[in-house]
Amino acid sequence: MIRAEFRKLSTARSTWLLLGIAQLVVIGGVSGLLQKRDDPRGAVAHVGLVALFSLLLGILTTAGEYRHRTITDTFLAVPHRGRVMAAKLVAGTAGGLVFGLVASLTALVTTVLWGAQLSAGVWRTVAGGIGWNVLFAALGVGLGALITNLMAAVTAALAWLALVEGIVAQLIGDAGKWLPFALGTSLEGRGGPAPWSAALALTAYAVAFAAVGTAATLRRDIT
Amino acid sequence: MTDICLEGLTKNFGAATAVRNLSVTVTPGVTGFLGPNGAGKTTTLRMLLGLVRPTAGAATIGGHRYADLPHPRRTVGALLDATGLHPGRSGRQHLRISAEASGLPVARVDEVLDMVELPPAQRVKTYSLGMRQRLGLATALLGDPAVLVLDEPGNGLDPAGMAWLRRLLRDRAAAGATVLISSHVLAEIAQTVDRVVILSAGSLRYAGSVPAGLEDAYLRFTEEVAR
Repeated sequence: MIRAEFRKLSTARSTWLLLGIAQLVVIGGVSGLLQKRDDPRGAVAHVGLVALFSLLLGILTTAGEYRHRTITDTFLAVPHRGRVMAAKLVAGTAGGLVFGLVASLTALVTTVLWGAQLSAGVWRTVAGGIGWNVLFAALGVGLGALITNLMAAVTAALAWLALVEGIVAQLIGDAGKWLPFALGTSLEGRGGPAPWSAALALTAYAVAFAAVGTAATLRRDIT
Repeated sequence: MTDICLEGLTKNFGAATAVRNLSVTVTPGVTGFLGPNGAGKTTTLRMLLGLVRPTAGAATIGGHRYADLPHPRRTVGALLDATGLHPGRSGRQHLRISAEASGLPVARVDEVLDMVELPPAQRVKTYSLGMRQRLGLATALLGDPAVLVLDEPGNGLDPAGMAWLRRLLRDRAAAGATVLISSHVLAEIAQTVDRVVILSAGSLRYAGSVPAGLEDAYLRFTEEVAR
């Protein structure tokens, strides 16, 4: 079952498209920043921005199946829907890990090519960025299982990150540092709560979305 | 010998009743599942396969709900619609994913591709409707099941494809399989099936051997409700 989920990801062009574009974003972001100032830690923090792509990957593992109606075949193969969701969480999270690792490699190589030094802080930021990718991928799996309309799920995710979280943060003041995107930056050690508490809080979001998405999946009629 | 058993099967979507208190037993052989558009055929088949949750009643295959079958794909092969395919994947990739998810040997993939005569590497987006149907049938046959549930399998098949399908169903039935096949094309059904089940407006209208003059009988059974 898990192998089938991995094959679904590897045989979809969207997976490779997301991974490729993410590298361009990293190279561009790192280069742009290091051109202006010698800040290798800020440069490798771009690994965290790839979490956006990991989020989309996670959404594709679930909502993508409803988009192409392949979910019917998936549930015929494994009628136990809880097991399907578990396999999707494993595959999606592993996909997020791969996205984080590849982005880290790209960011580190680009940083070195610009002649910047890799301090201990750089490695901590990279580790946090990888964690951000993993947790956002898991969150995406849950979100896509909850909002099965692919366009709606992607729009909701992008709107939250680009717009809504900023507005909500304004409204709730100091508590805004516990919102998902802000937690990601904290995970990279760039302000806000300590990285380990940011990791815990972001894990809680991922678990909550996975739980709600799974509950909705167990109940849903596939017509 | 595996029976399909529907007992008091009912499904409401909001205020609308799609299937109403449907009880029928489908025995080995080929059974045609007939009824006008919107009669509730597809909803019934999806309840049988555990995809739609019945409002009331139960649907079982050999005494088990689909979700409780130890090896669902080895017991039941299903073709529901020809749209459940990812356009970027090839026929072989689709079948391989299905086989892996179902715990079936990957060697079956090439066997069923041969059976339905599909090119393994071609992407689904360039498939004709008939090719999509044949890929769906290949998926249904992956587990070499003793029960086949096919929703409009003849859609898009050319005459040679139809003849092939008819032979396949007859061979399976001769080997003791239980085949339930929905269709609009009465002429096709009349040649292939042993029995028919006729549904209209969600209710059972007829179940039994193929009536003489199937079309007249069908119109009579389905019009009674329309009036």
